[in-house]
Amino acid sequence: MKVTFPHMGNAWIIIQALFESLGVEFVVAPFNSKQSLNIGTKLAPESACLPLKLNLGNYVEAAKLGADTVAITAGTGPCRFGYYGESERLLLQDAGLNYEFILLEPPEGRLLGLAERIRYLAGRKNSWAKIVRAVQFAYRKSVVMDRIEILIHGFRPRAQNPHEADQLYEEAKRRLVLAMTDEGIQGVVRWLQARIQEKQAQHPEGLEIEPLNIAVIGEIYTLLEPFSCCEVEKELGNLGAMVDRSIYLSGWVGQHVFQGLAQGYRPLKPYYRLAKPYLNHFVGGHGIETIGSAVHFARQGYDGILQILPLGCMPEIVASSILPRIQEDYKIPIMTLTFDEHTGQAGIQTRLEAFVDLLERSRHREEANRGGLIHAHT
Amino acid sequence: MKLGYPRALTYYDYYPFWAGFLRELDIELVSTPPTNREIMEIGLKKAPAETCLPIKILIGHLNVLSDVDAVFLPRLISMEENTYLCPKVLGIPESVMGTIPAGLEVVTMDINWRAGAHHVHKNLIQWGKCLGKSKHQVLQAFNEGQRWLQTYYEMRNKGWSFDESMESFENIAETGKFKDLGLIPRQSAGIELPQDVEDEHRPTIALLGHSYLTNESYANLNLISKLAEKANLRVVENVNHRATMEKQKRLKKDIFWSHARAIYGAGESYLDDPEVDGVIYLSCFGCGTDSLTNDLLARRAKVEQKPYLVITLDEHTGEAGLITRLEAFLDMLERRIRHESHLPAHGKCLDYHSSSI
Repeated sequence: MKVTFPHMGNAWIIIQALFESLGVEFVVAPFNSKQSLNIGTKLAPESACLPLKLNLGNYVEAAKLGADTVAITAGTGPCRFGYYGESERLLLQDAGLNYEFILLEPPEGRLLGLAERIRYLAGRKNSWAKIVRAVQFAYRKSVVMDRIEILIHGFRPRAQNPHEADQLYEEAKRRLVLAMTDEGIQGVVRWLQARIQEKQAQHPEGLEIEPLNIAVIGEIYTLLEPFSCCEVEKELGNLGAMVDRSIYLSGWVGQHVFQGLAQGYRPLKPYYRLAKPYLNHFVGGHGIETIGSAVHFARQGYDGILQILPLGCMPEIVASSILPRIQEDYKIPIMTLTFDEHTGQAGIQTRLEAFVDLLERSRHREEANRGGLIHAHT
Repeated sequence: MKLGYPRALTYYDYYPFWAGFLRELDIELVSTPPTNREIMEIGLKKAPAETCLPIKILIGHLNVLSDVDAVFLPRLISMEENTYLCPKVLGIPESVMGTIPAGLEVVTMDINWRAGAHHVHKNLIQWGKCLGKSKHQVLQAFNEGQRWLQTYYEMRNKGWSFDESMESFENIAETGKFKDLGLIPRQSAGIELPQDVEDEHRPTIALLGHSYLTNESYANLNLISKLAEKANLRVVENVNHRATMEKQKRLKKDIFWSHARAIYGAGESYLDDPEVDGVIYLSCFGCGTDSLTNDLLARRAKVEQKPYLVITLDEHTGEAGLITRLEAFLDMLERRIRHESHLPAHGKCLDYHSSSI
């Protein structure tokens, strides 16, 4: 049995750590690329959502590396993701790939069934205590991963040129992949902090920049997988904005895998309360988190919010029809971008630039207002 | 108190329940007129571009409500154990709040059968309390609503058309002629089946799709009557619940949307049924659940060698295009019947076979 799993941003680092410490044989599929998307688009139904197409691409490419089993989380809806496992199995069968699928969910609500599946995946040689320890370590690694992302988010608008940030990010990720002890993963954070301070000491003028604060919210796959959203976070950072994100991997793991027992780097819990006045019930996927996080960032005084989603994402469409009310109530600009297999980098780039320009200008106007400059004329 | 119910989306499956429930509580419930050009246009103008056609139609209906105290928009989370409705239905009423005319009040409540009958009762009782109804009254009304809904399902199951069966519920709700029309006597006498007009020489077609599309005759350009002219028609509602559940076993994992479940079950039954010559799947652009159900059924149709047509509706669907596709489909069925199915149902070997005809 050679296990593979679909890509979702940096999640592979965490899953790799988990499988490695359990001694499970696994294959990391080649990263998402135009090619994986093309393969997936060809196999998937036309109106399926973007993540499904990329997943299929991952599996086909992993099969070439010898993978024969897929481990994927599932659920009972109402988001389409809950049915991905079964759908993907049949689609791959059509393409002549007989993958075995291990759906990590309690079948018909039976926790024992889930335990059996984990047992099957981990093999007989691992004790439950070892499995729990491995999961806990993977979780701690995901928290560190999120800290690295946030440090880079903070550094990017102040960097001398975009490549500096890219280099640091890649190097930090490389070090994190190799680190298999708690000591080691904390070392990566310390290393990154030291490098950033060094860079900033060389160019102290960078610290005087007051970047725009933009929050990126929306559907989890497009948020976490840079390829699927044309790297909006990076682009915004390069345009001089400080970016934050509504969902980080550890927060998602804490909420959904540990059922809220662990909070993760950015807990999702406060979002549910904040969303109440606008959306009183969950709508599947991360619709309610999108609403809650929009309120959260608006209250924090962010300059603008960007919602991203794959075309046809049902929960996010519900969220996007509610967002205008938040925009109205908090007077905060919110833009929605939709991604599918036809999305072009240049089109997204233009829209991001326009959005940043707009926020820049409204900020200047506000400052001018405060100084009484515009008051005199009105 | 007079509540308005938009004739869209959940109307097509659950209106009889609300009509019965509210009538028992002495609350008048009126529905909007059938979709027309004006309603459609308002909906398209006010709705967000990305949402699906049925939601756009719903928004149109909400904007033509007049002469009511409030609009009734319950949040239907789950209407069956272990299932959900589509996320876009779960998002109602909040997701349409911004498009409702100012000043129109919204009455809502949560219905969640997933959490069990007890939970549903509790919610209804709580809701009733706000209107000054006693627990006993609400429960009685609930039973009445359930009875109406079951009768409606039974009528549909026995082959009544949507308009025929819904008409009786609409009239009861509006004029209070419940006793005269009498569902019970009619039921005990055996619901009169519509005259059997099935013609052996005509092909039999099964029409699949969400009830709010197949019965929405304005948006689907009268698809049902167009088909009924040329073929014997079967729909999703003709398949009973037990058969639907039976077919789920073919999948390793049950489908968790109740509508998709019904469509899949009906689709499988019709694909198995040798009497059915072809299957048409009516979907709409951007429908998330259909993208998966359609894929499951299309695969089976290929295996069964059954002609399978997918029609995707959106606000730009033109009548001429639809007719051309239907005619081509019907022609194919006819030729298949004539050539005793020696004609393949889908692409691949078409050239080989057609050259021999």
